[in-house]
Parts: sequence; C-alpha cells; structure tokens
Amino acid sequence: MQLRDFFSQDCIKLDLEAEDKDEALKELVSLLDLDEKSEGILFKMLKRRENLGSTGIGRGIAIPHCRSLVVNRLRVAFGRKDGGIEFKAIDEQPVENLFLIVAPPLEVSNQYLPVLGKIAQFSKEPDVPERLAELEEPSEFMDLLEEKGV
Amino acid sequence: MHPQLELLLEMQDLRSQKQALKEQADEREVESDVFEVEIEEALEELDRKLEELEDRLDPSVQSTYRRVSRSMDRAVVPVLNGVCYGCFIAVPRSWASEAAENEEVRTCENCGRFLYYVD
Repeated sequence: MQLRDFFSQDCIKLDLEAEDKDEALKELVSLLDLDEKSEGILFKMLKRRENLGSTGIGRGIAIPHCRSLVVNRLRVAFGRKDGGIEFKAIDEQPVENLFLIVAPPLEVSNQYLPVLGKIAQFSKEPDVPERLAELEEPSEFMDLLEEKGV
Repeated sequence: MHPQLELLLEMQDLRSQKQALKEQADEREVESDVFEVEIEEALEELDRKLEELEDRLDPSVQSTYRRVSRSMDRAVVPVLNGVCYGCFIAVPRSWASEAAENEEVRTCENCGRFLYYVD
C-alpha cells in the first residue's frame, strides 16, 4: 500500500485561505467534493474528534481524521497554510501542513489505520516540514511521497 | 436531507468512533500514542455527546433508535447499490429514486435499521 495511491492532485491545496482551525477543517473537507449536508456532518465529526484531543502532532503538522457514513470509501486531502494557524497542537506551535483522512465506519479493505500510520510516519521524517514548505505545485507533493517511498 | 436523519448519522458516526476506541486495540494505540488522547476521558465525552443528541430525536425516531440500538451494533447503515449494508438484503426498488436525497427517515423492512442512501 502506497500513500500516493490515495491522493489526487485536486485534493491537494498549497494555499489554504483559512485563518483559523475551523476554517481550515472546512476548507479541507471542501476538497473532497461532497454535497453540502455531508460536508456539514463531516465538519462536525472532525470538530468532535478535535475536542477529544488535537490532531496537531507537532512540527507544524496536523492529521485531522474520523470515520463517517457520509463517505463510501477512504478519502484523503492535503492542505498547506503558509504562516500556520493555531491548532492547539501537542507542541503548541502553529500548524502549516494538514492531512485529512476520512473513512466509512465499515471499510472492507481496512486501510484507514495503515494510512493514518503512514502519514504519521512520513510526518516524523526530519526534513519533511521543510520539504512541504518548499512545494510549489500539487504534483511535487506526489513526487515527495514517491521519493520517501510512502 | 431530513434533519432527523442528519442527527442519526451524526450519532452513528459517534458510535463508530466510540466502538473503535473501545474495542479495537490498534485504533486505541494510535489515538493514544500518536495523538496523546486520554482514552477513558474520550469515551466519557462521546457518551455525553450521544446522550445529548439522543434527546434531540423526535419521540417516534427515538423509540426506534433505542430499540434497534439495544439489539444491533449499528443503528444507521448505508444503502449501496440498493442493498441495506446492515443485513445485506435488497431494499424495495421503488424507494431508490425518492430516497436518493435522503429526505425521509426510512428503516430497513428486514432488519429495522435506519437507512442512509449513499451515491
């Protein structure tokens, strides 16, 4: 299983407009191209997950995630906000890079946790925050995943 | 989408989250180790939220929800390709077109679970 197989370029946004955490979650959800009601439900679920503990894992990276009936397969998105936003991250630093993961509650292929784990592993690589900051095109994000072998 | 169905979907998503945290060791481990979630506190918070949402259900929906929840792990299931993903029995074809927008609260005639139509 390779992370890059789950991302498509239209689900990668390198210039998020969001100014706060809620706006960032909404903007990421909008990349999945769901109907308005589903977007609303998904946003609420992500907020509720954040209320259990921030998904900001440090070094400017957050991985908002949840399971929801509004998707019928695993969906992922990536967004970057230059300058970062307050996310109540573990290290209390602003978050610049956000990976969104959403899966249906019953997922036959059982990819949700492995994908979550791979993104967490990718995020821990020493040069990743710097490399993500240098991206100019969504295709370069895909290239980075390939280069890192994830 | 019917507002009561929207509420039911939110509740089912929360139930799924709770179930995963409670029963799946690998999910609990990721949440605890990577995201530093306090599992017991999280479960309590999910229970509180579920109770709050349950109180907002209309009496007839609430009564069905409680009955289905008691006997089945999932009270709300998707319909995919005309099949209820709770009991895997086909739902009446006549429902398909009108149900596509999820404007009504419907239950499976076979298993009784609430149905949510997915494209």
